[in-house]
Amino acid sequence: MKSGPIMAAIFLLTGYPACAHRLDEYLQGALISIEKNRVHVEITLTPGIAVYRYVLAGIDTDADGVISQAEQRAYAGRVLRDAYLAIDGHPLTPRMVSARFPTIEDMKEGIGQIKIEFDAGLPREGQHRRLTFENHHQDRIAAYQVNCLVPRDPDIRVIAQNRNYSQSVYELDYSQAGVASEPLAKGMLGAAALLLFARVLWIWRKRDYRVAAASRAFR
Amino acid sequence: MAQTATSRMVGAANSFLATLDQKQRQRLLFAFDDEKQRARWSNLPVAMVPRSGLGMGELNASQRSAAMALVASALSKTGFEKVQQIMDGDETLKRNEGGNPMFGKDLYFISILGTPSEREPWMLQFGGHHLALNITISGDRGVLTPTLTGAQPSLYTINGKTVRPLGRESDKAVALLNALDDGQKKRAILSYRLADLVLGPGQDGKTIAPEGLKAPAMNERQRAMLLDLISEWSGIIHESAAAARMAELKADINETWFAWSGPINVTPGTNIAAYYRVQGPHLVIEYAPQRMGGDPAMHVHTMYRDPTNDYGGKLTAK
Repeated sequence: MKSGPIMAAIFLLTGYPACAHRLDEYLQGALISIEKNRVHVEITLTPGIAVYRYVLAGIDTDADGVISQAEQRAYAGRVLRDAYLAIDGHPLTPRMVSARFPTIEDMKEGIGQIKIEFDAGLPREGQHRRLTFENHHQDRIAAYQVNCLVPRDPDIRVIAQNRNYSQSVYELDYSQAGVASEPLAKGMLGAAALLLFARVLWIWRKRDYRVAAASRAFR
Repeated sequence: MAQTATSRMVGAANSFLATLDQKQRQRLLFAFDDEKQRARWSNLPVAMVPRSGLGMGELNASQRSAAMALVASALSKTGFEKVQQIMDGDETLKRNEGGNPMFGKDLYFISILGTPSEREPWMLQFGGHHLALNITISGDRGVLTPTLTGAQPSLYTINGKTVRPLGRESDKAVALLNALDDGQKKRAILSYRLADLVLGPGQDGKTIAPEGLKAPAMNERQRAMLLDLISEWSGIIHESAAAARMAELKADINETWFAWSGPINVTPGTNIAAYYRVQGPHLVIEYAPQRMGGDPAMHVHTMYRDPTNDYGGKLTAK
């Protein structure tokens, strides 16, 4: 993107030189915290001064110059819908925790930060897990960043973080001690259920056979 | 008896205080546990993120000289030079921007949290555009984290001399990268783009999972280069605190990582346009060129943290 005309326009709009501002990108930094039964995501969104009008139009939808509570909720919901969270390939349903919005004045200067937090419950089982996080919010202007915080639970260990170049797609492989191994536990439970079922069936058939034999004997 | 760094700082602080009137002292001094003031720092100009304390531009010559003497007493010779070069850079930016009043050496602020003391903990803050020094003193110990340094322009000429305030941070990092073999580079160079600092202002108390090349996979020479790179931040504080800090970081070397993202080529004498991060159990360093309407290599932000001891938390824990 050519910066010269943008910089001149920014100076005219704000009275501040463009060189001190975030410009034509919408920085979106996500920090992910993992616990055994929960994942928490905090996204900080900072629209650059050259794109703030475009971003603001999607927030202040009635264009009255005020970001109302309803508009905040609606925009945070949109950010959430543009994100994707999954554990071991199974999509999770995130729950909004909080959303904080800056003043429009700060957004005009390229220093306004929107902070959105959401979380999702995780099934506890599974010693080796893969968390997937995708962010596709405003992908034409976005500069994505995503990182995992060092887990506070010493049982949880980050194994690997993989991202695409733009960081819109992120995979976190981690291990956790002190929980049942999911495939093994499920497999063992399944096998035990099958054995139990077979045993009940066998007893039932044996009983039916005996009943039939007894009834034949009494005929 | 030889003067310690702390006693020098306390002397310099009291000399500065003596130059001020009551109103100025009130504006300079904050309670040691003032969490808001502690976190009131930024990479941005003060016109965009106001600072508290006393601005250099509102002090007379002797007050300003005493203030800078206090800052100098807390830093090493090279650390103080770096601070002066960052401030000179902002003055250069002001000139380049047609005398824009939001930049310049007058717009750096000083504040003191607590009472300067050789025994009790206290804190000195000094900063403005591209600079945030947070120096916690407790007895003979000194902690410089979190500290932000930056430069814009990151290369300028003053009195006929070319200055690069963060030039060594750039040169030493690219030298380390070039000293790695292909296998090491493959691990050190991240496959994704980093647009900015991850743990910049407002991200206190957070530690991200490390990535890149771990120091045990480096040879002795490469590890020495990594420590030399780290010294560009650990050595900003005065020599005795810097020595204690470097001893701590040397002990952590086998748990220290180096990661790089961006162009690997650089013209000698200019700065890199790549992001890099050095991270260990007690250390996060980030170097992040800024794509803000110009050459990213000419506008750099760096962050220096100790996730276990920012604001000297360990020294002052009760």
